[in-house]
Amino acid sequence: MNGFQDDLTGFADDYALGLMSPAAAELFEAVMARDPALAERVAHLRETLMPLDLSAKPHALPEGFAARLRDQVSQTPQDGAVVPPAPVLGSDPTVAPTPANLPAAPLRRWMAGVAAALVLGVALGFGGALQRPGPEPVVMAVLLGPDGQPRAVVSDYGNDTAQIRFVADIDVPQGYSLQTWTLPSAQMGPQSLGVLDGPQATVLHGPDLPAPGDNQLYEITLEPEGGSPTGRPTGPIIAKGLAAAQSGV
Amino acid sequence: MDDHGKQRNRRLEQAVQACAEGHPEGIDAILELEGSQLFGVALRILTRHDLAEEALQDAMVLIWRKSPQQRGPAGSARGWIYAILRNRCLTILRDGRRLSSMSPDELTRMQDARDQIVPEEGWQMLAGSSRLGDCLDALDDPARRAILLAHVGGFSHGEISARQGVPLGTAKSWIRRGLASLKECLS
Repeated sequence: MNGFQDDLTGFADDYALGLMSPAAAELFEAVMARDPALAERVAHLRETLMPLDLSAKPHALPEGFAARLRDQVSQTPQDGAVVPPAPVLGSDPTVAPTPANLPAAPLRRWMAGVAAALVLGVALGFGGALQRPGPEPVVMAVLLGPDGQPRAVVSDYGNDTAQIRFVADIDVPQGYSLQTWTLPSAQMGPQSLGVLDGPQATVLHGPDLPAPGDNQLYEITLEPEGGSPTGRPTGPIIAKGLAAAQSGV
Repeated sequence: MDDHGKQRNRRLEQAVQACAEGHPEGIDAILELEGSQLFGVALRILTRHDLAEEALQDAMVLIWRKSPQQRGPAGSARGWIYAILRNRCLTILRDGRRLSSMSPDELTRMQDARDQIVPEEGWQMLAGSSRLGDCLDALDDPARRAILLAHVGGFSHGEISARQGVPLGTAKSWIRRGLASLKECLS
């Protein structure tokens, strides 16, 4: 077994045992979603250790628990369920936030190009991220595509610098760019973190922004080449997600 | 797995499938089949009723949300459900802000109770009469204890090394090597 495989086995063990930091676990889940063999390994260890969970003494549920849960569930939409398309961050009513303003053929090609393969470089980047001593991101966000699958991971370092890595292949049609946005507050509206040269790992230097916070929204949209002409997101959402604050544990 | 276990797992799979198809009755079925055991696991890790209830509620909502994407052969429905619950428990345990909102007395009580989760003597009851128990028995004491502290107690690498009085790297390698031996023994 080579070093990389050793690392992955170690990560799988740590993940199954709950020994990863929340940030690393979230990243690992994104990697696992693209790597069935890895998911299988985690599942196998989990099944192996199952008797340890079943040895806990059962305890009657608190009164009214089922009813309260039922209430909450009935108000919770499911991930990946068929829901109306989410609105783009921009609230400018003159800009149609739909894919309708794009030629149909490149869009289809783009959709088909979102390959299900995990890129090795991403996994290595993930390993590097775990080992790199350096500054810790203030928040991280896993951005999901319309299919609910992870496409990119944003690490925001809070000094107007953010790093973006892709965990899925995204085919950008010619004449278009990817642009990254964040919504620091409803008052500020969406702020561009930068236009990407392509779907590859990029360090972004945005404008002066407030320190990123928990649950802050990040998204990537498809925009005309060079970035949105309006300064607000106009094209279809490639991926979006909410940030999780990194406690640094 | 015995027949009873297999049957239970099949019913859990049907319940998760029902959730995946958008029927909240699946959540009721999971609670009915597994609720008191799940609550027991949360209570063992968190030691407080309020936190355990919160963990179980969050976990069940997550199961509801994620069930449409839970396909394919990676493990059993039961393993998936317990993994989500354990993750929620660990998130609560490691949420510094939440713990800092507890009084020092409450924190001490919780810490003391958590120290009892993995007893020095009589760890065997944690594995029941499973093959896993036999294989855990074959491990060195420190490796076994580290694995039990992690999985049963939900302790972090740092907490495990402090409890065992060894450097972080030593605790990590005990766990890693212990798991490798465990897998070999069980294969």
